[in-house]
Amino acid sequence: MHHSRKNKKKRNPIVIISILKIRDLESFSTNLGERFWVKVTFHLFDGRKLEAEGKVGDSLLDVVVNNDLDIDGYGACEGTVTCSTCHVVLKQKDFDRLPEEAGDEERDMLDLAYGLTDTSRLGCQVILTKDLDGLEVKVPESVNDARS
Amino acid sequence: MPYKIIRYICLKYLHKGGYSVEHVDQVCLSLRKEYGKCVKMAGLLGRPDMLFIFDAGEVERVFRGEDGAPHRPSMPSLNYYKHTLRKNFFGEEKDCAGVIAVHGDSWAAFRTKVSRVALSTGAAAQYTEQVGDVADAFINRVREIRNSKSETPDDFLNEVHKWSLESLGLIALDTRLGCFESCEGSESQRLIDAVNTFFLCVGELELRTPWWRIYPTAMFKKYVAALDTILSVTLSHVERALQECKDNSSKSLLQDLVTAAGPRVAAVAALDMFLVGIDTTSNAVASTLYQLSKRPEVQEKLYKEITGVLQGRPLKAGDVSQMPYLKACIKEVLRMYPVVIGNGRQLTKDTVICGYNIPKGTQVIFQHYVMGNSDEYFSNASEFRPERWLNRSTYKHHPFASLPFGFGKRMCLGRRFAELEMHIIICKMVNAFRMEYHHEPLEYHVHPMYTPNGPIRIKLIDR
Ligand code: HEM
Ligand code: FES
Repeated sequence: MHHSRKNKKKRNPIVIISILKIRDLESFSTNLGERFWVKVTFHLFDGRKLEAEGKVGDSLLDVVVNNDLDIDGYGACEGTVTCSTCHVVLKQKDFDRLPEEAGDEERDMLDLAYGLTDTSRLGCQVILTKDLDGLEVKVPESVNDARS
Repeated sequence: MPYKIIRYICLKYLHKGGYSVEHVDQVCLSLRKEYGKCVKMAGLLGRPDMLFIFDAGEVERVFRGEDGAPHRPSMPSLNYYKHTLRKNFFGEEKDCAGVIAVHGDSWAAFRTKVSRVALSTGAAAQYTEQVGDVADAFINRVREIRNSKSETPDDFLNEVHKWSLESLGLIALDTRLGCFESCEGSESQRLIDAVNTFFLCVGELELRTPWWRIYPTAMFKKYVAALDTILSVTLSHVERALQECKDNSSKSLLQDLVTAAGPRVAAVAALDMFLVGIDTTSNAVASTLYQLSKRPEVQEKLYKEITGVLQGRPLKAGDVSQMPYLKACIKEVLRMYPVVIGNGRQLTKDTVICGYNIPKGTQVIFQHYVMGNSDEYFSNASEFRPERWLNRSTYKHHPFASLPFGFGKRMCLGRRFAELEMHIIICKMVNAFRMEYHHEPLEYHVHPMYTPNGPIRIKLIDR
């Protein structure tokens, strides 16, 4: 392929970062040419509305962390799918157009999410694509909110 | 009445030597029956107060209220090993003591370094074929050692331990240890012996009077020597991985760890995995094989599912996710017979539980064995029904009642690997044999894993 030389040259940095996170590799490669920014709005249960931008290939958790969004307790396990604190509820149409369905690990953990719905996902497993620009998600209350 | 204080029960059941410890499962069932959903044990000699929780909703609340560094009570003998006896090694670099018997910031810092590599989805799948090879070797081995009645020998559990160690050696050390054909004096054999010694000693040291705190008993010396061996073997493998890393990119857990967090972290992580990742997995597998051998109809359903996916070709990464019934069977075994019958936390802040204000420092024990077998949380709890995990709406089910791997920031670090190993070995066993059980039913005991008590004599009929 006539691209091969170019690709090869660009692959070196990917190899290095892939050690940390496979997903980084995807985001890196989709962003080689241009950097796409995707807008996301988080509707919190207390009525607050947080808007932020993330790169294609980022997870919703990355968006929360990178933008320092103030969502109490969000993403406690740092995206290792052991906590379900990154739970978000999507609109049906967004839920349906996510490129990847929840995998087994995510489904097991979703089962433990507070206030689970049919269109729930774990934010650390929802990866932004270009199509998702303007995505709006609901961050449900946690059991701690419900108590106070 | 603030608590039902039942000091006499703990004295009677928990401090009376061998018999009682093995039957903690029964003790817990009767505590629940007699005293309700929240039982405090106070006045335990030299121990913090304990609170047993039998209420899944309360378990959920405690878990969800966890702060940045949940504290799981750990074995005093290991605390002593890491933080007193070998503190030079474990304390030399900052935050390098591991996750087992480590707490607070030091735990959190270490866990962060390791958990992404060990727990990210897909971390385990890359091992499918290699773990499959180990499973094939195990199957060849059990074919050979079947007795004249085609039954597994009395020490079958030990063979399963070998399988478990071989699989973990692969994952944590990039090495085929050769457990099925180990020869005297080899490094593998030293590791195998050390791991065995560790298991033999740890139960004795933890569950009986801790004389070792006063002077180093013979048992304690053996225990320390075993830990030293495991540590030195893991260190030598990490050194090798370090060499190999230089010219390779991400290829294995060990190399990823070395690259992401350095050789010391990788070695200590491997040590911790060896300490808690072998007998848990092997007992879960032995228990599952035993339960399946009593249920031909479940095996047939499994066999259909497996052959439908494989269509005669070897297992590859991703296949297992097409086998929901297989996964459900293992969940169901771990619901009814969780190898770790209870998990726990030492409260890092005052917490309201069952309406009582429970002070910081109390050890809370989540009684998963009791809750998992309670009709309150699972419909027809006493029946083995894998379907309940596939069809949640038809069956009542409380997700926090059965948590075989724990939950949250401190969940089992090896869960992805444990599940991969179990799915593959069960898949291959069912595919290779029809399993039958023709003896008296086995009781379970706490040993210290919850496991069938007695020789697991399964008749293996080639498919
Ligand atoms: C069927 C097999 C297994 C079961 C049932 C099991 C169960 C558990 C449970 C209940 C915990 C406590 C979690 C919590 O506190 O919330 C735990 C912790 C842990 N497990 Fe497993 N485990 C299994 C296999 C493994 C394997 C194969 C490994 C290693 C590869 C492993 C490594 C660990 C480690 C390192 C921890 C401590 C995590 C921490 O404190 O940060 N486990 N396991
Ligand atoms: S951040 Fe813990 S499951 Fe997503």
